Amino acid sequence: MTTAHPTASARHRITPPRVLHAEWHKLRSLRSTWITITSAVVMVLGVGLAMGATYTSGGGDSDVDTVVLSLYGSMLAQIFLVVLGILMTAGEYATGMIRSSLTAVPTRLPVLWAKATVFAATAFTVMLTTSVVTFAAAQAFLHDTDQAASFTDPGVLRALVGNAGALTLLGLLALGLGALLRSVPGAIGAFIGGVMILPEILGMLPYDVVERAIMYFPTQAAGALGSATPIPGTISPGPALLALSLWAGVTLAAAALTLKRRDV
Amino acid sequence: MITAHGLTKRYGDRTVVRDLDFTVRPGTVTGFLGPNGAGKSTTMRMLLGLDAPTQGRSTVNGRSYATHPAPLTQVGALLEARSVHPGRSAFNHLMALALTHGIPRRRVEEVIDLAGLTDAAHRRVKGFSLGMGQRLGIAAALLGDPATVILDEPVNGLDPEGVLWVRTLLTSLAAEGRTVLVSSHLMSEMALTADHLIVIGRGRLLADTTVAELIRSAGGASVRVVTPQPDDLRAHLTTPNVTITAARTTSPAPGPTPEAHELRIRGVDAVHIGHVAAAHGITLHELTPQTVSLEQAFMDLTQKAVDHRPQRPRRPTPTTGAAA
Repeated sequence: MTTAHPTASARHRITPPRVLHAEWHKLRSLRSTWITITSAVVMVLGVGLAMGATYTSGGGDSDVDTVVLSLYGSMLAQIFLVVLGILMTAGEYATGMIRSSLTAVPTRLPVLWAKATVFAATAFTVMLTTSVVTFAAAQAFLHDTDQAASFTDPGVLRALVGNAGALTLLGLLALGLGALLRSVPGAIGAFIGGVMILPEILGMLPYDVVERAIMYFPTQAAGALGSATPIPGTISPGPALLALSLWAGVTLAAAALTLKRRDV
Repeated sequence: MITAHGLTKRYGDRTVVRDLDFTVRPGTVTGFLGPNGAGKSTTMRMLLGLDAPTQGRSTVNGRSYATHPAPLTQVGALLEARSVHPGRSAFNHLMALALTHGIPRRRVEEVIDLAGLTDAAHRRVKGFSLGMGQRLGIAAALLGDPATVILDEPVNGLDPEGVLWVRTLLTSLAAEGRTVLVSSHLMSEMALTADHLIVIGRGRLLADTTVAELIRSAGGASVRVVTPQPDDLRAHLTTPNVTITAARTTSPAPGPTPEAHELRIRGVDAVHIGHVAAAHGITLHELTPQTVSLEQAFMDLTQKAVDHRPQRPRRPTPTTGAAA
């Protein structure tokens, strides 16, 4: 072993790309990553194929948007991506890994940004590919039904991209919740309770203003993003993307503030 | 080099670390000693920027830890051994840390070998023993070839071979001119590895001293003497700095042997006492040099903290010449 020398210090220093590389290495070196990602893919693809294979023209699903119908499995995939996002942040507090991570990068925030970037890139790439493949595979069954559609139909590509984007943003929201709450069960509970169930309960209230507000809630906005044709009672894709991005962004900002201020 | 200036940590109204001032110098192993709950780990976490001090500040190699552009090359730290994701392999854990600084894979393999984890490198940490976990933590600390090493209880859970390995490692790191701060709640362990000691209790600095000085301040070396003629010996050991304490009267052996008295003598060595006794025809049954146990010195120091007695270690007042 050689004694520490200043040149080593100059060559080895923390840079944002290096932190990104480290987080990418951390993500792919865990079995749970492969399990959650694979499960998400299998859910979308499996449900999509099942929907296509069992579809009959004029049945109960005739009025459902083709992209929504093909990607019904996204509802289940969402759970897996949410768990992955939470594991990336809250999981480090559960195992103690966070102490190693923040000793290596004591300015702290680059770790959170790198985690969010690595997660977003991975989730978006995988879910976009899965959405496109699933849509095409479902069409193998649907091409001679009233749900026949092609990539060039209006809104289809946008909905496929929108679906992948919505899943990614919901996952980022969860990742932020995990960093904020520092507990895996706590964050999963908060996501299920606050993001998935709360709007359903609020929706039962007989006030128009509440009903309008709920359209901007994360899951509702996500639903609007993944449909080729406008769904009644939802906002249009532009505002939906903005709303969902804001939800994820505000959560991440709160997580960043906490990370910077609180002891580890 | 590590410095702490008025370092204080409060959680609500509970003060865990109180106004700590110390300097850890390069080239020696400095032991950071205190009973469990004394504030050692909190202090180390503050040095590494994991906990923010309520008051005061600390620096490592001249600036606060978080402001180093390449902290791993400045300070290597072993905090709690389980600061690792159990699902990752030792190699991947170290590689992830190395990547943040652009430290090459070669160096990761080097520290794995150094820590004796070559065979286990690609196994998941989940299956590691406590000792292997410690070795991984030490490997992580050495990753950036740092000038300062901070290790919290590094020998915890290690087998005798591992303990010896840590001792040798610490000594060689210090010999290379690095700053080495090692915490322990075991005085005996520190006595074997540390040259300098920082002792804390209840978050307060109790002593910032060398091992030798600590022994001296705890009462220093003494000589145990058993003699049937305590008064004669007393009479001939009258130099002012000599203190003689009567320990106890040993029960007389069967037969005509007179009653023997045990004395504890400080300020002169056994050789001198032997000469005095021989010169004056004083019978000695026993003449044994004693060293104060470091453990005892440590207990005395920390006991004071527990009792909320004065913060600075006092020289124990010697009991002078009690009658035998």
